[in-house]
Amino acid sequence: MKAKTKKVVYKSFLSIVAVFVAAFMLTQTVQAANIGPLPKIKINAKKAELGRKLFFDTKLSGDALLACSSCHDHKLGFTTRKPLSDAYVSMLHFRNAPTLINTAYKGGKSVLRNKRIPWHWDGRIGTNLNDMTRDALVTSETMNMDMRIMQERLRQFPSYVIEFNDAFGAKEPSNGLVRKAIPEFLKTLTSKNVPFDQGKLNLTAKAGLELFLGKAGCIRCHNGAMFTDGKPHNTGVPENPEVFKDPVRHITLISLLGFAQGLENIMNLRRDPGYMTVSHDAKDMGKFSTPTLRELKYTAPYMHNGLMASLDEVIDFYNKGGGPDRPGLKDSAMVPLRLTDTEKAELKEFLLALSGDDIGAAVKYAKPDMDYMPLPNWVNNDYTITNYRK
Amino acid sequence: MKSSEKLMFILLVFAALLIFSPAGTAHAEGDPDFDMPLGALPPPPYPVDNPTLKKNVWPSPMGPKQELGYLTFFDPKLSGDQGPSACSDCHNPLQGWGTNEAHSKGYPGTAHWRNSQTIVNNAYLQKLFWGGSSPSLEAQAPSAARAARAGNLERDQGEARLRLAPEYVKRFNDVYGDRWPILQNAWRAIASFERYMSQIDTPFDKYMKGDKKAMSKAAIRGMAIFKGKANCFECHNGPMFTDEKFYNLGVKRGEGLDGGGDPEDAMPLVQINLRWEIYGNKGNEEWIFRSFKDDAGMWFRDKQLSSRGKFRTAPLRFTRFTAPYMHHGQLDSLMEVIEFYNRGGDENEFTKPLTTPLGEKYAGTKSSIMKKLNLTDEEKKDLEQFLLALSADPMVLPTPKLPQLQRMADWMPKK
Repeated sequence: MKAKTKKVVYKSFLSIVAVFVAAFMLTQTVQAANIGPLPKIKINAKKAELGRKLFFDTKLSGDALLACSSCHDHKLGFTTRKPLSDAYVSMLHFRNAPTLINTAYKGGKSVLRNKRIPWHWDGRIGTNLNDMTRDALVTSETMNMDMRIMQERLRQFPSYVIEFNDAFGAKEPSNGLVRKAIPEFLKTLTSKNVPFDQGKLNLTAKAGLELFLGKAGCIRCHNGAMFTDGKPHNTGVPENPEVFKDPVRHITLISLLGFAQGLENIMNLRRDPGYMTVSHDAKDMGKFSTPTLRELKYTAPYMHNGLMASLDEVIDFYNKGGGPDRPGLKDSAMVPLRLTDTEKAELKEFLLALSGDDIGAAVKYAKPDMDYMPLPNWVNNDYTITNYRK
Repeated sequence: MKSSEKLMFILLVFAALLIFSPAGTAHAEGDPDFDMPLGALPPPPYPVDNPTLKKNVWPSPMGPKQELGYLTFFDPKLSGDQGPSACSDCHNPLQGWGTNEAHSKGYPGTAHWRNSQTIVNNAYLQKLFWGGSSPSLEAQAPSAARAARAGNLERDQGEARLRLAPEYVKRFNDVYGDRWPILQNAWRAIASFERYMSQIDTPFDKYMKGDKKAMSKAAIRGMAIFKGKANCFECHNGPMFTDEKFYNLGVKRGEGLDGGGDPEDAMPLVQINLRWEIYGNKGNEEWIFRSFKDDAGMWFRDKQLSSRGKFRTAPLRFTRFTAPYMHHGQLDSLMEVIEFYNRGGDENEFTKPLTTPLGEKYAGTKSSIMKKLNLTDEEKKDLEQFLLALSADPMVLPTPKLPQLQRMADWMPKK
């Protein structure tokens, strides 16, 4: 091959690479800039209505005392409003309960096709709402439910047999259908009338948006329609001392992270390792998934351990470049921002403009029916839908 | 090998099989089978991988291992919501180390489907639970503590809870050498405690050891009826009064399931529990899930339709304190039990023949040993006296002071 031909091949190769790099960067920028409104989700009203009933039903937990709503209270922004969440009966959690508003946009197959936003603060579930629902139901720290008992409990109620038939055409309730109905209800919990989505930012909020995209650099991680990159980062949030002070919370941490997820050396651990539990890579110590910034108005306190009570505290935290952590662990992008007090106020105004109507206020509580009745004729009774509809 | 040698070899193997196959294996019940003689109980046996001292048997003091088992047996930390589901809640020392209800309590939000069995003298059994599903005390403890209808414990949580109670950390280290408590050793300790709860000084034991005044004359007459006319001995044999084989006696369906005639009296949570049990056994065909309306007993273990409705012969020791009797607590008193056998047992859904959807026919499984006994009232009373002589004192123990959780910083140096 002649030297000239070689050069041409080399040049064309370079140009191809350049095109790819440019295309990649372009998609990144588009994605970063794409902080517009959330797409609409199709909802099946009957399934969602059944899901709402199940959401409030305590029959879905091991000892029938807790419902999804116990830690995702519709009157409290679908969280607990406590720094650290409650947990299964007699237990306490070591992390903050995230809101369920817009949770339907998370997962690998959500309507945000260019995004993969995982669930849980350590991002350990990234597939779909069905899996996430199962995780919450069966995990012993949360609902501690054997779903086979759950399904037989539901089958004991003629009202449920009829409603599952209405919604799914099924002959009886089943645990698989519970994990379809609840996600359908969650799909109804999406932002409504958000000033930012409606293009109704006031001047202060507009200035805040400029800071968000520029000087404050929030956009680096809080991007896309959900204002999250779906990735874990270590920003140096200090530990919440309650976790290790209260043996009940410490137990939850040990059992969930050490035994259930196999994190090594758990008995000597005195901090929440976050994403490291998922990756088992020491470099990931203290990384937590970027949370969404939507509906912050209803979801204080903030951070994975609820350590910050207000948005002012959060902004101050970032302004000073985050908290301390060992070099190599903390995200290098965390540097002091030198925001003025006015700029902080502008940024806060913008963040608040990402919250819309109080979604929970519009959700009607469904009182669970705990009045189990014996089947009218145990020996010959067909308790499926054929018994109730001839 | 030549072909003639091959043939010889095969013949020899067949011959060996014929000679060494024990009589009775072909038939799971009834004669001819080996009936172990009745006798006094020796001190409880223990497995080599969880040894204990021979002297650590009721009413002598416990050793450290039994004490650890005593604590964990009573500790709700080893149940899901740390509420009323410690081992001791359904194996209550004041109720014969079982419960005095027909159906055991079960985890909150559920009801158990079977009668709670006593833990006393379980050390001598090779098959535990009504269906004989556990081979050892060490295997049984976690099955009970973790089942969603009993303890509903997640093992991760149980272990973590033990680790934040400094007294447990010390005790597990002393007894098992654990750096941090290992849950498996909690089950071992509980098994050791259960072995401690052995009763080897009943009137019957004393009688068999030569004290001819230890049993009343009525009880001695009752023993003769037990072995003779009533034929109890056919299955209730050996020092534990059980052959540990499986029989369907035709005990009627538990009232929790069908209300005993009045559907309003049925217990919905028990109905839920039976359906869950059948559904939860993976691989069952749907027609079984839809058609079985009673506790199929040993069928849950071996999935053979010929096993449906069979239960392990219950040991008769300590029964003075363990009413009600049978797997769903169907019979309230020992006299009711005697009457039940006297009439040759009853009928239930598994004593009837069964045809599968594929047309295969299975005979009813009621034991052929069950026949009318024609006992006189005097004989029944004597038999009852003999049964009562199989128990000594009720072996009551108080609830121990349980180890408390403490924040780690107070008792562990930071590393």
